Amino acid sequence: MNNLLDIQNLNVSFRNYGLESNVLKDVGLRIPEGGRVALIGETGSGKSVTSKTILGTLPENAIIESGSIRFDGEDVLSLSHGKREAMKGTAFSIIMQDPLSSFNPVFRIGRHLDDVLRFADRRLGENSNAADRKRRIERVLRQVQLSDTERVYSAYPSQLSGGMRQRVLIGLALLHQPRLLIADEPGTALDVTTQDEIMKLINRLVSENGLSLLMITHNLGVVRKMADDIYVMRHGEIVEHGSFRTLFKTPQQAYTRELIAAIPPLYGPDVEDQPPVDAEPIISLSDVSKSFDEKLLFGRGRSHLAVKDVTLSVGRGEIFGLAGESGSGKTTVARMIMGLIRATSGTVQVDGDTVGTKGQGPDFRRLIQIVYQNPGTSLNPKRTVGQTLSVPLRFAGLRGPDVEKRIHELLAHVELAPHYISKYPHELSGGQKQRVAIARALAADPKIIVLDEPTSALDVSVQKNVIDLLQRLRDGMGLTFLFISHDLSLMRNFCSRIAIMLRGELVETGEPRTVFAEPQHPYTRALIAAVPVMSDEEDRLKPKTSLDEQRRYLADTVA
Amino acid sequence: MSVASSNEPAVLSTRYMAWYRFSRNPSAVAGGLIVLSVIFVAIFAPLLAPYPDDVGAAVNFRIRHMGPDAEHWMGTDKVGRDILTRVIFGFRISLLLVVGVLGFAVPIGTALGMAAGYFSGTTEKIITGFTNVMLAIPPLIMALAIGNVLEPNLVNAMLAITLLWWTWHARLIYRVSKSIATEDFVEAARLAGASHWHVLTREILPNCVSVISVKTTLDAAFVILFGATLSFLGLGVKPPTPDLGSMVADGRQFLPEMWWEVLGPGFAIFYATLGFNLLGDGLRDMFDVEV
Repeated sequence: MNNLLDIQNLNVSFRNYGLESNVLKDVGLRIPEGGRVALIGETGSGKSVTSKTILGTLPENAIIESGSIRFDGEDVLSLSHGKREAMKGTAFSIIMQDPLSSFNPVFRIGRHLDDVLRFADRRLGENSNAADRKRRIERVLRQVQLSDTERVYSAYPSQLSGGMRQRVLIGLALLHQPRLLIADEPGTALDVTTQDEIMKLINRLVSENGLSLLMITHNLGVVRKMADDIYVMRHGEIVEHGSFRTLFKTPQQAYTRELIAAIPPLYGPDVEDQPPVDAEPIISLSDVSKSFDEKLLFGRGRSHLAVKDVTLSVGRGEIFGLAGESGSGKTTVARMIMGLIRATSGTVQVDGDTVGTKGQGPDFRRLIQIVYQNPGTSLNPKRTVGQTLSVPLRFAGLRGPDVEKRIHELLAHVELAPHYISKYPHELSGGQKQRVAIARALAADPKIIVLDEPTSALDVSVQKNVIDLLQRLRDGMGLTFLFISHDLSLMRNFCSRIAIMLRGELVETGEPRTVFAEPQHPYTRALIAAVPVMSDEEDRLKPKTSLDEQRRYLADTVA
Repeated sequence: MSVASSNEPAVLSTRYMAWYRFSRNPSAVAGGLIVLSVIFVAIFAPLLAPYPDDVGAAVNFRIRHMGPDAEHWMGTDKVGRDILTRVIFGFRISLLLVVGVLGFAVPIGTALGMAAGYFSGTTEKIITGFTNVMLAIPPLIMALAIGNVLEPNLVNAMLAITLLWWTWHARLIYRVSKSIATEDFVEAARLAGASHWHVLTREILPNCVSVISVKTTLDAAFVILFGATLSFLGLGVKPPTPDLGSMVADGRQFLPEMWWEVLGPGFAIFYATLGFNLLGDGLRDMFDVEV
């Protein structure tokens, strides 16, 4: 088969602050005509730099040292600037990762699409009129399964859901019928069920239009569904390459094996079952509701019911998982338990005290702590690890050398070397930052820790380490975890009990083993079915769900 | 080719990266040098000035209205004083004004802005409301009022400018600290038991420092200009104290023949203002903040 894209010995380096660093080392990659190729690797491995080099959108401080990129036999790197520009959007185009920030909020969707089309037409030297362009745009919008094209065309970006925006972004990439489609982590920012829809859509578009696909991702489950050929990248080098079947079954490199082993299985013999915990409840909620009122200067604003009649209890020592898609109210529930916001009705009891009456004092603060989703924003960039950790310790009454001694203990708990005490957050990797955040939560000597998607900002291999650490901490210190996540395969292995939330309501609660084997609620079935998994066997074990059920519960499902 | 070790990318300190950005920005470096030269001249004025006696009410009619020559590089004024000497001492007055005004306005504005941004509700409403009222007063009207009620001199000029200047800082810091206050690390510190005082001074303030320093540097230029305006209008420093603004006002009567009497002090105002503006812009690029 002909290679549509052939990259050979590509070396790219970046010049930053007088230092030169090699970000791509002898990268070689081939995409056959009509082939689907995935490039996987962790943060900073050079995946996005590779795609930018193909597109010609590298930043100014990047230098292409050597190598060639042949597109349909022609060396792209030696083309003139004008010709290179003309290839963007026509020969290849990219589906952007973030459906929110890729749009200018003050322009209508139609305007975004029209601009792209108009400029691309001009580059190609074609004349087009507005009516003709609108016709073409509507055709593309129908192609990406946005049925109400008229409404989408005249909508502002904020009026569309995340999934719809992602569809428009795909449409944007398809406007000029490119031959190579580059997808940079499409749908990563979206919920699983939406992501599933987006993957199906891209797959269909690729096969119907005979496109070639370069898929850039860190999610191996996605790779299985969307690629035939896989390149594994690490530190700017291609470490392994093979067809998806051989690579998943018999990975040659230790790194690839690690990467595959780090993925928590959803079904099968490797699934870990957390022993059920039978203890008196430490957290109990009864009929808790929370509504947010819109405050207006004049008149009464609307009120939005974020949590509706939630009743649940978490036993001492449990790892209780709260699952749901964005907007399901899981974070609101956690914030009510922490006493950060008050319930509108119902009672929240933590360790025997009702939150809101007695549960506001300093003792309550020490009882329950939180680890945030993004360690980049939960650590003050201007304070060292030691300074950050000393805050809860001073509050607990420690002074002088005791503080330092305890910080060393805490660092040892989260498996960081003592010299990290004087480091600033920007000197740490994502996983290390999250360890510091965990240490801060531990510093107050809490009984309960709320984990708000603690690993979703981390790479899979780092995720595994952090989860293992959390597991050891719970076993060693008898902590209770309230684990908020949308990553069902992770919850299957890590939680001793899970609850599924949908639009503010609790739809199902139970041990992961039973919930995953026999999900009762149709929404749970739809949710589990959408999780990208690593093998056909797991796919077979997933609950069956009908299109009808999906339509009822998933907002973004094709109408 | 110097290549950072491939597995562990070199972590550069923020200070080094900031200095790297600053030192490769020619206009920022030029601004920094100009500001340093102004400060140097102001501090060592008595040693540098060729005719230190001309600072006061000296009169030397024999050489009045002399153009620039080898002895008087910037010429002499209407009573025969050396303009260069008076410009050198004029820098002192200007910098004194800058230090006096910003020394009060910046801490007051920062404190109020941070309080308004961090505490929502009534505190926020009162402080922002008051700031907006103060912002609505035209600066020159305020200066005129103070100049008329009190005696026009350096201290009262400072007072007039300070009374209005803190509002700009309060407003800026309010906006910055309000966005910092929503960060997870602020909530985390509160949950760890930190007091409001701790959060304000240790968590929020360090993140405001870059914004404050850029704004203060840019402000220094405006304060010099505004001080010169007041003196020009006779509301600031009184003669014979050598103030750049009043020197321009004095020289204006003899334009266009005795152009040097305006050019010397006028250029000095331009030089100092330009220096602070370039430095401020350079700092803004270096810290990568919006002011």
